[in-house]
Amino acid sequence: MGRKILIVEDEPVVAMCLEDMLLDFGCTVIGPASRLADGLVLAEAEDADAAILDVNLGGERSDPIAGVLRARGIPYIFATGYGAAANIGSDVPLVCKPYCEEQVRSALERVLTL
Amino acid sequence: MAEPIENADPKSTGPGSTVPDDDDEFRSIADAAPIAFWTTSLERKRSFVNRYYVEFLGVDYQTALERDWREIIHPDDYERIVAESLAGEASLKAFTLDGRFRRGDGEWRWLRSKSQPRWNAAGEHIGFVGVANDITETKLADIELREREAKLLALINQGTAGLSQVDLHGRFTMVNDRFCEISGWSREELLERTMQSITHPHDLGQNISLFNDLVRDGVPYSHEKRYVRSDGRIAWVNNSAALVRDSEDRPVGSICVTLDVTQRREDEAALRKSEESIRLAVESAGMATWELDLDTMEGVWSANRFDLLGLPRRTDGRGSVDDWLARIHPEDVRRVREAAYACFEQGTPFQIEYRILRADTGEERWLQSHASRIIVGDEGDLRFVAVSFDITHRRQAEAELRASEIRFRTIFEEANDYIITCDLEQRITSVNPAVVSALGHPESEIIGRSVGDFLAPEQFDVAGKLLQHKLDHGGATRYSIRIQTRDGSELVWEINSRLTYDPDGAPIGLQAIARDVTESKRFELHQRLLIDELNHRVKNTLAIVQGIAQQTFRDPGVPLAARKAFEGRLAALAEAHDLLTRELWSPVSIRKVMADAMSPHCDGQRCHIEGPDLPLEPKTAISLALAMHELATNAVKHGALSNDTGTVDIRWDKVRDESGLRLKLSWTEAGGPPVSVPNRRGFGTRMIERGLAVELGGTVRIMFPREGVRCEVDAPLPDMEA
Repeated sequence: MGRKILIVEDEPVVAMCLEDMLLDFGCTVIGPASRLADGLVLAEAEDADAAILDVNLGGERSDPIAGVLRARGIPYIFATGYGAAANIGSDVPLVCKPYCEEQVRSALERVLTL
Repeated sequence: MAEPIENADPKSTGPGSTVPDDDDEFRSIADAAPIAFWTTSLERKRSFVNRYYVEFLGVDYQTALERDWREIIHPDDYERIVAESLAGEASLKAFTLDGRFRRGDGEWRWLRSKSQPRWNAAGEHIGFVGVANDITETKLADIELREREAKLLALINQGTAGLSQVDLHGRFTMVNDRFCEISGWSREELLERTMQSITHPHDLGQNISLFNDLVRDGVPYSHEKRYVRSDGRIAWVNNSAALVRDSEDRPVGSICVTLDVTQRREDEAALRKSEESIRLAVESAGMATWELDLDTMEGVWSANRFDLLGLPRRTDGRGSVDDWLARIHPEDVRRVREAAYACFEQGTPFQIEYRILRADTGEERWLQSHASRIIVGDEGDLRFVAVSFDITHRRQAEAELRASEIRFRTIFEEANDYIITCDLEQRITSVNPAVVSALGHPESEIIGRSVGDFLAPEQFDVAGKLLQHKLDHGGATRYSIRIQTRDGSELVWEINSRLTYDPDGAPIGLQAIARDVTESKRFELHQRLLIDELNHRVKNTLAIVQGIAQQTFRDPGVPLAARKAFEGRLAALAEAHDLLTRELWSPVSIRKVMADAMSPHCDGQRCHIEGPDLPLEPKTAISLALAMHELATNAVKHGALSNDTGTVDIRWDKVRDESGLRLKLSWTEAGGPPVSVPNRRGFGTRMIERGLAVELGGTVRIMFPREGVRCEVDAPLPDMEA
């Protein structure tokens, strides 16, 4: 894939896994950021091609990061353990935890080709 | 007639008068007399007439002497008077003539004359002397009297009333035609009989007593009695008798006016007969009748009235007011007595319900009595008539109804649930105290208001739609609605409501019973949040497990297949878990479980899934989802889904056999590569055969025929339909 992907994920093991997957896909990983503030900094500072955002970051929602990315025209996908019950916009792809490589890959491909 | 004589100058009569001149005294007496007076000689010539005579003729004295008196006789009387006068004269005795004569002024006057012969001293007949007086007034009075008598007689003899007169012994002295007709005896027969002899023996005693009182004290009487006619038939009469006295005021008998009342009596008898029929009808309807003679305070009771009061039937069929009052319950007797006497005395009709204690058993019964005082006949006799019947059963039913009303009223008043009734315009008609305290408005501010006034915004439309639904389809609705209380807070009520109907079946309103579910709704919401949170954590945990596994399996010694298999199983678990989360851990649909389990592995063209929808318990759903995942994974790897043409057929059904309801599910692969029986049963196979079987409480068998893998599940289903 060879793209730069921002990871915002507060769970280290999950972040690690995701990092491995992305590396396997041939992507460059930005982050992972585990807190809202860190995520916001990276989202504003880095020129990512796309981002994978955990919805819940230690009790805070990652919506502000999504706002920044949207403003910058950077596509993103949400990852969540809340399943379909997570309250997010319908135009954003959602991968439900636990996810497998195929799910992450197809979600990423969708946003990157748009 | 003391009038002075003016024109009667005796001298004017002149010489040649036959009245002796020396008889001046006689002349003046004659002239003063208020009657005509004359003397006649043998040759019928007047020799003397008095002043009255002259004035009657209205001529002078001489003319009066010469005038033939016959000229002034009324033509109708002429012949008779002339004849009588000739006869009288010839008899040489005194004779009287009555007749009409024309007075000088032309008026006809009745005169009565008396003439008698005159004799001289030698005893020779020398003529007549006569006097005449005017009897016109007397005569006219006499005529009038006759006419009146004739009229009276006609009256007596005319048809309606019989008239009779008897003497002090009761002997008939006068009867008219009508009396003869009524009594059935001829006049001749009656005049030989007494009134006693034709009076019916049953009426005689009273009649004689009345007659004696009449004679003794002059008390007139009227009564009804019977005559026995000569033909033996009975005549009912109404007699009014009065005393007759002679000119010296001594009683001489009685005069009696008799009216025939036989017809009326017969009519009354007929009426009584028809009353009797009505009475019988009334009594056969269980109503007892009674009448009362208001003089004696007793009267005829129907036989069932005795039965009603528990009294022995009496042979004379009569009972008294006191007999009745004695049977009335002590607590009711005063009220009943007052009503009854108001009817007896003032004629106020009554309808009362009261208790009696039966005379025979002492049993308490409820009676209802209706009574009126009625006027009977022309005499205005008063009669009291009443019907009574037993209403004990009705009273008992009413008492039960009241008790049940009180019970329901208590429920209504005391219920914690909210009870509301309203009309079809959704205006509130009643609420129970629970509603008042929940809404915070006084009852007076609730009744009559629209339901919408107490609902949260937009909820009135919902209520209106539900009402329309009930009007269209009948039945009841059950729904949650948000209520606005007086302090502005919102409550959630779950309302069961149904229409109420009038006796003709037309809807007239709504009744609703509501329960406050605000707390349970809040709890539900809270629970949902908790479940979401739990689910999130479980998912996160699964993600961490996956991450750990991934990191572990990255070790080059671990085959990729193992990592993939693990990921798949974890995903299936997460998928099933997700379904349960969506269904809030309540029973889930088997179709959804199947569809979710199969969707990662194949499309609808190669997987045929068919079966009735059934609810599955959460644990069962997870086991089934994992089993399907294992079968599908195997099929993708080795079986029907490993090439491009194989198919999987999944079907299940609900079957009822002697042990109850069962689930029969089959997984059948076809079109895949030839199957060989594995020499060792792997994780998947064992999980299916053991885990699922235990979970379902049934049997699971996996078979490996060459044409394709088969799995059969047979498990009992909770009998939710029973």
